[in-house]
Amino acid sequence: MTFDWSVVWQHRDALMAATGTTILLTFATMAIAVPCGIMVAALRLYAWKPVRALATSYVELFRNLPLILVVYWAFYVLPIMTGLGLSPLATGLAALVLNVTAYNAETFRAGINSIRRGQVEAAMALGMSRLQALRRVVLPQALRRIMPVLASTWVSLFKDTSLVSVIAVTELAYVAMQIRAQTFRVLEMLTAMAAIYWLLGYPQAKLVDWMQRRFAVTE
Amino acid sequence: MDFDFSVITDHLSFLGSGIAITLLLSVLSGTTSLIAGFFVALFRLYGPRWLKPLVVLYIDSMRAIPVLVVLVWTFFALPIIAGVTMSPFMAALIGLTVHLAAYAAEIVRAGVESVRPGQSRAALALGMSRAQIVRRIVMPQALVRMLPAFGSLLSITIKDTAIASVIAVLELMRQSETLAGQSFQPIEVFSFAMLVYFLMLFPVTRGVDMFYRRVAHLGRS
Repeated sequence: MTFDWSVVWQHRDALMAATGTTILLTFATMAIAVPCGIMVAALRLYAWKPVRALATSYVELFRNLPLILVVYWAFYVLPIMTGLGLSPLATGLAALVLNVTAYNAETFRAGINSIRRGQVEAAMALGMSRLQALRRVVLPQALRRIMPVLASTWVSLFKDTSLVSVIAVTELAYVAMQIRAQTFRVLEMLTAMAAIYWLLGYPQAKLVDWMQRRFAVTE
Repeated sequence: MDFDFSVITDHLSFLGSGIAITLLLSVLSGTTSLIAGFFVALFRLYGPRWLKPLVVLYIDSMRAIPVLVVLVWTFFALPIIAGVTMSPFMAALIGLTVHLAAYAAEIVRAGVESVRPGQSRAALALGMSRAQIVRRIVMPQALVRMLPAFGSLLSITIKDTAIASVIAVLELMRQSETLAGQSFQPIEVFSFAMLVYFLMLFPVTRGVDMFYRRVAHLGRS
């Protein structure tokens, strides 16, 4: 067995660019999925009943589907349904957003529900409106509790971006496997791919642990 | 747009074999990762001191690397080092177990640590051995408290088996994609796959939650 690790160094530019795409996908997805998640959570909690049911169905459906199926679905079905020719990157982003929004919505809903009703009642007894009570009493506490959950969703999302490689989005997993196919340096490229994910993901996982300690719930 | 669901009924056995493999892989990898996770957690909690950093490194690494990468590495790279050939199913089972055992270990650890240390000290004072304490005091309470987390781990397991399609395991995701490509009817095929996955996953999460509510009092102390 002889290994030739120089192949990794030779393709460093492609790998760097692909890593950039992976990070970009993570940021872009979260940037869209947080406001969308808040909106869906609000619909689930306060909207007109049929809308509430619709929001609940959406959340339950996407939390109970494998992401890779959603990615394939977006790739094959979105162009037919919308008539748009989306790029693989946009398609992958759409699939990730659909998935993460459902998780975020559930997180926000649970966070808001975790604040005891008595607090809202007390705030209203002091003369606050319902909206004021939500904004000034519930959300500041809920957000604190939500932070660690959002952080671990972030790490999952970072890892899940690898799944859009199946529709040829040129992120890290796809590019590494392309180079593997061209150079036949299977072990070297796959190990390099794992190493890059590890280098990026390990600090994030540690950060989540820290946040869970830092934002531990005490009432 | 009109839909023609005969593509599903015409290929029921093709899709059915995919469903069977998905279920088989889910049950097998769920079981193996649970057992492996238990041992990993016990090593982390009670093992020799030199082993602990290694166990922590393994767990945190698995939390940092995507399943896809673990599966692809196990299927394509591991045989080169180990000099063995593996079927895709075997590789998926090994890859999923290695990945999910880390999560299972974290659940077990959290469950064990949720039992107040005062109870172990009290048991020690009563003259119980370490093994007795784990078996008779800690685990009976911890196991019940781990249930909801194991429920979501099981649903993650089922979802992760879909990623095994990338290394050509002929499970539901793979069969659906093949059929969608050949029949040019992706909407019907993927809708069917979504329905099947939802029907597999939804009862798992709900069922475990319901079961937990019935036994939750056993975990209180």
